[in-house]
Amino acid sequence: MAASISVKPSTDEQPSLRRSVTPWGSFSWGYSDVGADIFVGLGLVLGAAAGASNVAFLFAGIVYVCIGLAYTELAATYPVAGGGQYFVFRGLGDIFGFIAGWAVLLDFTIDITLFAWSCIDYLSKLAPFLSYTQHPWTHFWVVFGVIAGLATLNIIGVRESSAFNEIVSGLDVVSETSILCFGFFFAFHPELLQHTMQHFWPTPFNLMNGVSLAIISFVGLESISQAAQETQRPASVIPRTSISLILTILIFALSYSNLALGMQPWHALPLDASGHQQQLWHYLGNEENNGAAVAVLASYVPYFGALAALYVPVLGAILLLISSNSGVFGSSRIAYAMSNTQLLPSLFQKVHPRFRTPAVSIGVFSGVAVLELVFAALPSVSPGVHEIYRRLFRGEDGITFLGDLYAFGAAASYSFVFLALISLRLNDSQSPRKFKMPLNIPFTYKGNPVEFPVVAVIGFCGIASILVFTMITHEIGRVAGPLWIVLGIIGYLVYRRSKGLPVFRSQPRNWRKAQIGILQEAGELELMDTYLANVKAMEQRKAGAGPKP
Amino acid sequence: MKRLVHSEGYARARLFSAALFALLGLVIVARTAGVVGLNASGLPAYALGGAMVALAIVRFRDYFAARQKT
Repeated sequence: MAASISVKPSTDEQPSLRRSVTPWGSFSWGYSDVGADIFVGLGLVLGAAAGASNVAFLFAGIVYVCIGLAYTELAATYPVAGGGQYFVFRGLGDIFGFIAGWAVLLDFTIDITLFAWSCIDYLSKLAPFLSYTQHPWTHFWVVFGVIAGLATLNIIGVRESSAFNEIVSGLDVVSETSILCFGFFFAFHPELLQHTMQHFWPTPFNLMNGVSLAIISFVGLESISQAAQETQRPASVIPRTSISLILTILIFALSYSNLALGMQPWHALPLDASGHQQQLWHYLGNEENNGAAVAVLASYVPYFGALAALYVPVLGAILLLISSNSGVFGSSRIAYAMSNTQLLPSLFQKVHPRFRTPAVSIGVFSGVAVLELVFAALPSVSPGVHEIYRRLFRGEDGITFLGDLYAFGAAASYSFVFLALISLRLNDSQSPRKFKMPLNIPFTYKGNPVEFPVVAVIGFCGIASILVFTMITHEIGRVAGPLWIVLGIIGYLVYRRSKGLPVFRSQPRNWRKAQIGILQEAGELELMDTYLANVKAMEQRKAGAGPKP
Repeated sequence: MKRLVHSEGYARARLFSAALFALLGLVIVARTAGVVGLNASGLPAYALGGAMVALAIVRFRDYFAARQKT
């Protein structure tokens, strides 16, 4: 044990989360969040990237694997609930921690609206009066009701139970695996896939648009960190469940896109508006079906399709509702955590006197979500606004508007996470990493042995290119995304100045003490001992008496 | 739910799904190779098949590691 650091039982009186999540619970937590994304992403990407949709998913999928590995390493090393915001805050300092957290908050608010919107789209396949294209006002009010209902439930403090998450995730994994098996074994034709790819290859602009939308199928890795906070021995459990989660999500995204391009539908598709035959991918990507593409695809799968047409819309809607709820829950908790570290005003820490929930945060960010809903729904309910959107934003529909912003927020926050990982590898080499991203270059930095993560650089280049694609191809994301960040930074600077806090610099913090507390609280006592030994060795090296790296 | 997840039946179900994914992955790779060959247009399908086989390997490894422990 290091002589210079004493370890005392935590005297912090703040209540902490109970660590009762099992490996399966940890998997299903992530799955119910990220697994819902393909239900939204598939139709949008097919509509944009056409015959190259599978390539768009592959590109975004490779970047996602890098992001997933980064989150796995960071969540196992720092098992706290803040996720990307915490890692950036710790690795890059206060102002970047704020920007990353603010981008995550944008994503959480979009998450609320986009998934509530898509949840109703899926239900409309069974209840046509909810259809966005045919009854836009009904659709708008029902989505609004879902958001208001979720906000109210979160203020009261009702949250879906972990067991409910686990059951829905389990059913969905079985369901999706069945759809893929029936699809690939009985209706998949590689020659049709090749034909579609050759004849319906998009323009470079549309391909970039497709890639930037494909990343929304892989958003929600914050849940890995949230699960880490509530998992016993997270350093051992999180890597195992995360790798399985990453592969499962990747497989489903790649499978659906390849099936959509290369599957012969079991029964005839309806003719398009001009009376022509249409291909499955085209049918799934049109405005009527792009919000519920997985359910529509499932209904055209041989043998299983008739059954799938009945239950996939319901299962999809439940999964999307859980994901929407995680947006309400996540945004309020991130805002609460940012307020705790004086990145946001203390207003966001206010808890409801009766229900003991962060009611102000929930109210504010649910309000932002409603505002986004209004902007997304306006073109469908008002012909005048539709004309304005057509002229200014290439006629983007509601769900694409939300997808634009979602892609921007995700790409922005993930970019910072890669930089934070590199910074933490260099500046916090003492923290033991039970899981490390592969491909590392060992060298000595400031007298300490460190490993430079090559995969983080690859991932950063990938996500930065997706951010550039988003800025190039998304008329709304290009304006509204940066505007959100700029307004946030202005608010941050004003707040920090008014409180007499460092504006551009970071407040001094005792990260060693924090890390000991984190490992102790997680029950990772062996890792804590290793950390203390590493710190001692580093101090000896600094004093010139210790072992050479 | 916890009891179900720790049961032998659940472990076998995971093993079965691993075998299914491995088979599906190999079928996709073989069928794509038969039509497309070593062409770039087959890359997404090859990646999908590879990911399925990788997931199967992870699950097989988990299963046998758990069996060795018990």
